[in-house]
Amino acid sequence: MAKPEKLKEPLNLKKEVRLTPGYLLCAIWVVFTFVVVGWVICASMLTSSEIFSGTMMRTFFERLTSFTLRFENYVKAWTTQKVSVFFLNSLIYTTISCSCIILVAAPAAYALSRFKFPGNALIQNLIAAALGIPAIMIIMPLFGLVTSLKMTNTRFTIILLYIAMNVPFTIFFLLTFFKNLSFTFEEAAAIDGCSPIGTFWRIMFPLAQPGIITVTVFNFITIWNEYFMSMIFANKTQVRPVAVGLYNMIQSMRYTGDWGGMFASVVIVFAPTFVIYLFLSEKIIAGVTGGAIKG
Amino acid sequence: MIVIFLTPALILYALVFLYPVIRTSVMSFFKVETVSQPVSEWSFYGVGNYIDLFRSNLFNVSMANILRLWLVGGVVVLAIALLFAVILTSGVRLKRFFRSVIYLPNVISAVAMGTMWLNYVYNIDYGLFNNVIKFFGGDPVMWTGPVTLFWSMAIAYGFGMVGYHMLIFISGIERIGIDYYEAAGIEGANVFQKFFYITLPLLKGVVRSNIVIWTVAIAGFFVWGQLFSPVNLSNDTVTPVNYMYELVFGASSSANTARNTGAGAAIGVMMAMLVVIVSIVTTLITRHDDVEL
Repeated sequence: MAKPEKLKEPLNLKKEVRLTPGYLLCAIWVVFTFVVVGWVICASMLTSSEIFSGTMMRTFFERLTSFTLRFENYVKAWTTQKVSVFFLNSLIYTTISCSCIILVAAPAAYALSRFKFPGNALIQNLIAAALGIPAIMIIMPLFGLVTSLKMTNTRFTIILLYIAMNVPFTIFFLLTFFKNLSFTFEEAAAIDGCSPIGTFWRIMFPLAQPGIITVTVFNFITIWNEYFMSMIFANKTQVRPVAVGLYNMIQSMRYTGDWGGMFASVVIVFAPTFVIYLFLSEKIIAGVTGGAIKG
Repeated sequence: MIVIFLTPALILYALVFLYPVIRTSVMSFFKVETVSQPVSEWSFYGVGNYIDLFRSNLFNVSMANILRLWLVGGVVVLAIALLFAVILTSGVRLKRFFRSVIYLPNVISAVAMGTMWLNYVYNIDYGLFNNVIKFFGGDPVMWTGPVTLFWSMAIAYGFGMVGYHMLIFISGIERIGIDYYEAAGIEGANVFQKFFYITLPLLKGVVRSNIVIWTVAIAGFFVWGQLFSPVNLSNDTVTPVNYMYELVFGASSSANTARNTGAGAAIGVMMAMLVVIVSIVTTLITRHDDVEL
């Protein structure tokens, strides 16, 4: 179990023995997670009858070794089940919202963290409060407003909501990043005749880059997986993002008994966030701990 | 400059948080049928919506559901999360790997996660749990049958949340100075003494953050309830938000509920109050804590 990947410290057998119960618990949890995710990936390449056969894993390895794994489930899910539509929608929603969130939140976080003005503390408290407001508290008036403007089921509405809902968290997260930057940058820029707005975009914004990337990766995952708002505001196939699309697909596939197709859709939906996580897990984890710090 | 930088954020805030919160609060004291009904057609109802809700059987069931989910689920999830946090900060190898895998369910869409649980882990024919039971010679269990549905849902949900709370505990434990542990070690304290006399007292603030975060999550509990009872509201999985969705947007085929946005708003207010009360109470209890998270 204690296979050393990085030999930072010499193998201390006594210490490792003492830690055995800890290793065991972690191992059980990790194996369970891998089995569940791995099984679904395997099942997505088999037919429904093979999944039900009771010897699914054997069939999977037989197909794997003879290079006869089937990808029809994916093709079918992508084309006939319209996963491609949901996928493209989610891609549009996440990329546009994530960029706009930064454009709105970064200047606000900068102003709140670097300048003293009346109302600063109040605004910061309001923003922190937004992190605890359940969606159920805001959804009804928003839906009423959107309906009366006849803007339901439009990409614009969904993107605007995603931006607005994630701005408080992003400001909150970026506050500490701007706070920790040295004031000498601004002073130097002012002496050289740079306007405050120019100073922000040319000097401070690039300096906050690590924080901005972390929070954007985090926002991407939140928006990609968002369910409640899009279920209410995106009621048509053409505008549905992946989470709601997947939910509807699963319900219909249950009746048709297309289990292989269902697992393939599940894999397609979690693949993007899963791959991002493989490469950027440290950033995402930093995003969680940074964002949870609240008073 | 400050004005220019803050205006877009404040406009969005007013539009999506301030205005809806005020309107929902007001709406909860009026009789309102549909969401798009103009204010002129609302009629004042006092606390009538709240009284009606507490007279409704399904609402009481939904409140009981989230209260037991909050309490039992919260204690179990936070305990496991703290246990993993302590293990991972005690100098185990592969710390980053374990931490990443335990957090993994949080980056996967809840719908995808729920589908894996429902159609693999809990499946009666080829499911993981039943295969393990059969391996040990037991009888297969109907995990998503009426008796076990609620706890099956709670386990599936809690499994994902452990990683999230664990990360917050880890960052709290890492803020505690290493010298405390070294001093205790010199004095001959064992693992358990170190945990109960150093880690736990210094983690009060972090525990509080975790309780508030857990409460916020439970107050908005929705997807899992819908996933585990997709067609109609069921007594086992209904939560206040599911019930609100039924009252306001009337999605499913069950005709036992008429559209009632005023009552939906009252549910929203109660959920928000739940979060407010929990955060005030926990703040009062942990006012003098040493590690601020």
